[in-house]
Amino acid sequence: MVARSNSTNGQRRDFLKTAGAAMLASAIPWSQAKANEFARQSLQVWSCGGLAEAFMQANALYEEKTGITISYTGAFAAALGKSLLANGRTEVFAGRVLELAQKLRSAGKMVFFKPLCFTQYVMITPKGNPAGINTIQDLARPGVKVVLAPDASPPGGAAVLKLLEKTGVKDAALANTVVQGSCVQEIMTSIIDGTGDVAVVEKRLTRIPNFQGQTEVVPLPDNQQPPPPLPFTIGMMEDAQNPDLARDYIAFILSEQGQACFERQGFIPALSAKGQELVEKLGVKDA
Amino acid sequence: MPEKKKSRLILFRRTVQGGMLLLLGQWSFYGVFRCPFAVPFINCQSCPVITCWGRITNLFWGFWLSLPIIGLLFGRAFCSWGCPGGLLSQLSAKVAPFKLAGKNAFNRFAPYGKYLALLTVLVLWLVLNNPRWAIPIRIGEFMNSIHLTFEHANTAWLIRSLTVLAFLSAGLIFSNLWCRIACPTGGLLELFRRPALFSFYTTEQCNNCNACQGACDMGTRPAKSNCTNCGDCQSACPRNAIQFGRPKPKNKNRTTQK
Repeated sequence: MVARSNSTNGQRRDFLKTAGAAMLASAIPWSQAKANEFARQSLQVWSCGGLAEAFMQANALYEEKTGITISYTGAFAAALGKSLLANGRTEVFAGRVLELAQKLRSAGKMVFFKPLCFTQYVMITPKGNPAGINTIQDLARPGVKVVLAPDASPPGGAAVLKLLEKTGVKDAALANTVVQGSCVQEIMTSIIDGTGDVAVVEKRLTRIPNFQGQTEVVPLPDNQQPPPPLPFTIGMMEDAQNPDLARDYIAFILSEQGQACFERQGFIPALSAKGQELVEKLGVKDA
Repeated sequence: MPEKKKSRLILFRRTVQGGMLLLLGQWSFYGVFRCPFAVPFINCQSCPVITCWGRITNLFWGFWLSLPIIGLLFGRAFCSWGCPGGLLSQLSAKVAPFKLAGKNAFNRFAPYGKYLALLTVLVLWLVLNNPRWAIPIRIGEFMNSIHLTFEHANTAWLIRSLTVLAFLSAGLIFSNLWCRIACPTGGLLELFRRPALFSFYTTEQCNNCNACQGACDMGTRPAKSNCTNCGDCQSACPRNAIQFGRPKPKNKNRTTQK
């Protein structure tokens, strides 16, 4: 009886050891699979705030396609760039102005960048164009009510003033200014409600849901566009936790499907013929 | 008023506050921590912050239009029934060791600070066109966006935001400090307190024992300066001398502070 009892206990111990080992062995592949899944669960992306609407669309498509969650931040590119040059961290950054991308590359913060899209400046008027605005020179006509945002971020402030200076109407336009603000979206509302007759803004603003279809858009010729704020780039940062994922995401953004989102929001896609022309003209290339 | 009825009043008010927190809480938070303009809650129709509640709902004008109506009807009731900041202040007051209810120069003159705050707001808004003092983080994870906002804001925005936070934090020591002496909305609503149609008031049974003041987080008495018509004083009155409604002319502001 004692011998049988000892034998039974021994068998039980052997069984438990075997079962434990089996469970441990089965857990390893599951843990590895979970680790892989976790590694691809999300991607952090920062971009210029002006690209936010386009990126929101593109990110939704990418998430639907891959199941990856995009943790997206859109804000003034110069500020984000300043953070990144200090100790800020993101995995993909789409900034404005070629110089910023070059600085990040030189500082070793960015692995590579590619041209993403270009902005374009237009004149906007209230519906019906009551003041008959056709060219930039019309901003200098006596009685025309001009709206400006000189204190806005450079793309909406200084760049517009530079454009006016380049076209020789700055002083007259300033004399005709009825609203001077610090936010380009306030410019839009001033035009929409008829406070002003004309403003020079980025075309993207006319595509923002709150403003879409509420103004007349008068194009400006290429030779009047202010170069510095036109190009946007997208690049992978040195801190990318999953470089392959970051590259895949960038490839999607630069694909026809991704670029279509930027075109819908008023940008010139880098992939387009016009975009390629601007890439060459403005030298938007990673050296 | 029977104790049961008073408890129901308190419960009702907390319920209303909870609902208003759900409705306005996020907007309030955005206003303090992420609004890029000098004065928050005013430029929501053209706010560049995509995720801001005011912009998303386009209801902020409704809020501002309803505020004076509430003021005309119930005086400063919004502060104690609807404002998420007021709720935060009231909760802080539960642990604040100093009620600032005594009669002294500070308690007498400090509340005028909210009128100074209101004047500052009006100047920034109407004269300076509510300038943008911070870089808008148009979209992003909330806490990360707050960090970025503080990181890149100019000095004026930092002063504005840190001042608000300082007063709210000080509410843990001095009861309802922000609401009493620094809130511009409170300053605006205080102007409606006297002409308001309905309010809590004391009746002829009041013997000026000041039990109500001792129970008041605002350190005041019914229908007096800084009264927000919260109704908490009712349960403290041993003579059941505090009522709500349209006070009779001879009762309105009848109470005198010892």
